[in-house]
Amino acid sequence: MDHAVSERLFLRRRITNWLALVLSGGAAIIGLFFLSWILFTTLSKGIDGLSLAMFTEMTPPPGAPIGEGGLLNAIFGSIVMCTLAVMMAAPVGIAAGTFLAEYANFRKIGSVIRFVNDILLSAPSIVLGLFVYMVLIGAPRQVATVIQNSDAGQNNWLAGLANWLIDISGFSGFAGAVALGFIVLPVVVRTTDEMLRLVPTQMREAALSLGIPQWKVTTQVLYRAAMSGILTGVMLGLARISGETAPLLFTAFNNSFWNADLGEPMANLPVTVYQFAMSPFENWQLLAWAGAFLITCFVLLVSVLARSLLLRKKMSHD
Amino acid sequence: MTNVSISLQTTLAAGEPAAAAPAKMVAKNLNFYYGDFRALIDINLTVPEHRVTALIGPSGCGKSTLLRIFNKIYAVYPNQRAEGEIILDGANLLDPKYPLNRLRSKVGMVFQKPVPFPMSIYDNVAYGISHYEKLGRADMEVRVEQALRQGALWDEVKDKLKQSALGLSGGQQQRLCIARAVALKPEVILFDEPTSALDPIATGKIEQLIAELKQEFTILIVTHNMQQAARCSDFTAFMYLGELVEHGVTQQIFTKPSKQQTEDYITGRFG
Amino acid sequence: MAAAATQLDHLARGDARADRLFRWSVAAAGFFVLISLVGAALTMAWGGREAFATFGWAFVASDNWDPGNLIFGGLAPIVGTLITAGIALLLAVPISFGIALFLTEVAPGWLRGPVGTAIELLAGIPSIIYGMWGLFVLVPFLGEYIYPFLSETASQLPIIGSWFNGPPIGIGMLTAGMVLSIMVIPFIASVMREVFLTVPSRLKESAYALGSTTFEVVWDIVLPYTRSAVIGGIFLGLGRALGETMAVTFVLGNANRLANLLEPSSSIAATIANEFGEAFADLHRSSLLALGFVLFAVTFVVLSIAKLMLMGLQRREGT
Repeated sequence: MDHAVSERLFLRRRITNWLALVLSGGAAIIGLFFLSWILFTTLSKGIDGLSLAMFTEMTPPPGAPIGEGGLLNAIFGSIVMCTLAVMMAAPVGIAAGTFLAEYANFRKIGSVIRFVNDILLSAPSIVLGLFVYMVLIGAPRQVATVIQNSDAGQNNWLAGLANWLIDISGFSGFAGAVALGFIVLPVVVRTTDEMLRLVPTQMREAALSLGIPQWKVTTQVLYRAAMSGILTGVMLGLARISGETAPLLFTAFNNSFWNADLGEPMANLPVTVYQFAMSPFENWQLLAWAGAFLITCFVLLVSVLARSLLLRKKMSHD
Repeated sequence: MTNVSISLQTTLAAGEPAAAAPAKMVAKNLNFYYGDFRALIDINLTVPEHRVTALIGPSGCGKSTLLRIFNKIYAVYPNQRAEGEIILDGANLLDPKYPLNRLRSKVGMVFQKPVPFPMSIYDNVAYGISHYEKLGRADMEVRVEQALRQGALWDEVKDKLKQSALGLSGGQQQRLCIARAVALKPEVILFDEPTSALDPIATGKIEQLIAELKQEFTILIVTHNMQQAARCSDFTAFMYLGELVEHGVTQQIFTKPSKQQTEDYITGRFG
Repeated sequence: MAAAATQLDHLARGDARADRLFRWSVAAAGFFVLISLVGAALTMAWGGREAFATFGWAFVASDNWDPGNLIFGGLAPIVGTLITAGIALLLAVPISFGIALFLTEVAPGWLRGPVGTAIELLAGIPSIIYGMWGLFVLVPFLGEYIYPFLSETASQLPIIGSWFNGPPIGIGMLTAGMVLSIMVIPFIASVMREVFLTVPSRLKESAYALGSTTFEVVWDIVLPYTRSAVIGGIFLGLGRALGETMAVTFVLGNANRLANLLEPSSSIAATIANEFGEAFADLHRSSLLALGFVLFAVTFVVLSIAKLMLMGLQRREGT
């Protein structure tokens, strides 16, 4: 090949390569730029609204003077619902993950459940919120209406049932917790499944060779070996639900006052932030940023903790 | 048949003559299937009591497969099945009615890779015992010490029993696994390439341990290291492609094998 | 064994019972996951049946959404969802590819960890934060500096000019698409990065040995090897973008009509979020649920495609 031609070709390849590398570095910079911009905004605007009152006072009425009121009821509600959600979803998720890893690992049903779980994992959270609404609020109301409208509804017992159904079917903290629970569930299932599969087969066989029954091997040996990984999954689920707004819109809704009753609408940070931010009132907007700052801090803290736990476990395995 | 002379490197005392050892386990017409694939073909093997029997052969010959039938660990996997009989103390182990936990309390296993449980050293040994017997603290401590002494580990860990077993070295972990197995007072111990993941010094310690253990237990060991078989075992069985080619006193197999295949393997004509 | 034979048998029976109980419990949990998804789909369909029955195909074909007169045609939110997601992917895919390339081939070893972690942190930030940042920071910025210019010049372009004909106040589908793309970048980037890392190094090394540049190795070797998984990752990002609520509700403007890129418009999730609280008429509620079902169905299909494409790579890896 002509030397000049090959030189030109080589130069062009070099330039293409250089261009690609610079662009990829640029892409990384773009990503980091937006991350910093968003975090910086949240920090600076949130700090302005931060004060001790945030943790001690309830949400103020709109248009109140700045500095008055806080987010106590919202913070409390979020803590309660997130904790309840994790308490409900984690055991079910760990059990389901155990089923996948220990009993259904190479079988068809295992692949089906894993597939469905992954869909659930990435499904729009608003859909899950609607689902819980339908089951816990919509359906009881409809059943109650049907009973009341029918002749049989004159029966004392049925009328009582209808009234009870109407009673329990309203926005409630419990429904909010259930909706959040459905978001945590697939995360825990997946992590448990993966962590259990990472435990070496020989450990299973060694325990079984001692004559230990399968259920003891799973709960006393395998869970112990995979514990930090499973905990990481639970923490990641918690991080995810702390900032979720959409599912709460139809379940727990919100409450401007203090409420510790899970059967009533319960205040929570994300929906409060949403309502306050979209409003034209300055005191509310300031509190919205403070709330957003709180949420971000919490989510980042839990995520970092979860990841460091996983990292420590990975290192001890090598 | 050419006369092959191999000098046996043994630092251990030679076993007693074959005729003096009664049979502990007898495998009769054993066939094993992975799905439709027949991995073991009509195996007949006698494992003598209080002796070390080694299973040798090239990769894929089925020696590990055979070993794993003796404690039915294959039963965990749905498409693996065994046909035939294994007689232990007059009963057929492969009979579905033979309780699994009785089998596993009589036949223990040590694996290739040391797998201590994620617990303390003490708990590792006590775990198996506590499933079968309800012992008080003092009694349990005695049993644990006994097991650790039998595993030649007691002196090294007696001061750190409560520490995690994962902190031990590879050789120590393997001796812990041996202690764990002997803690249940089995009658037979199966070893699946127990030293292939260990360095030579640790290997030597384990081989010495095996020689001591045979006084109380019957030992069946799989090894891909011929010299190890020559060093440690009283009887050797040579397997090839799922068949038991030859079985006899170790010294005999390694100096005057009666089958050409055995001789070819031992002299390294194929691996 | 010290224990007598009968004691062992007794123990064996107890163990077998406990084993059965445990097995049934975990199987029940596994099936619960299964029926959760099925339940979600069914309840959406059931709740939306009135709307589907009343409007038929007009529900997805008409853009007349009139709560006052109880007429609901969902074309506007559906189109809004698709366009914002489309814009998001258009912007996110090249940037994610660049980031994945950076993290696997370009960056020096000490830089990969921190940058990778930073990108993953971006994924963890809740969408409401994105929404707020979008509304209070990005919208004014765009409305003041970018959109006036865009509205004047781009609207002169043939064919696509009419897309940019709106009042340049900063909200609209383009803005929503931008915010969504920032949200989706970390997802696609991390899937791409994981996938790039599965390429056996000997494949890359032999290309390097022949004198290929880094870019050529990625373009000619890594990408073809991981093609279906990369597409799977993109679909995963798409599924995410389609279902996002809070990030877009803030910046879309909540106008339920077909609009161009710079005008206020709507998406399915935003419509549901905005109107569900005040939807007292049964038909209104049913229509919102029907919209939810449409969203669910579309994301289900997208996520299934993503999963199938990613599974191909898993099978090759033997996991």
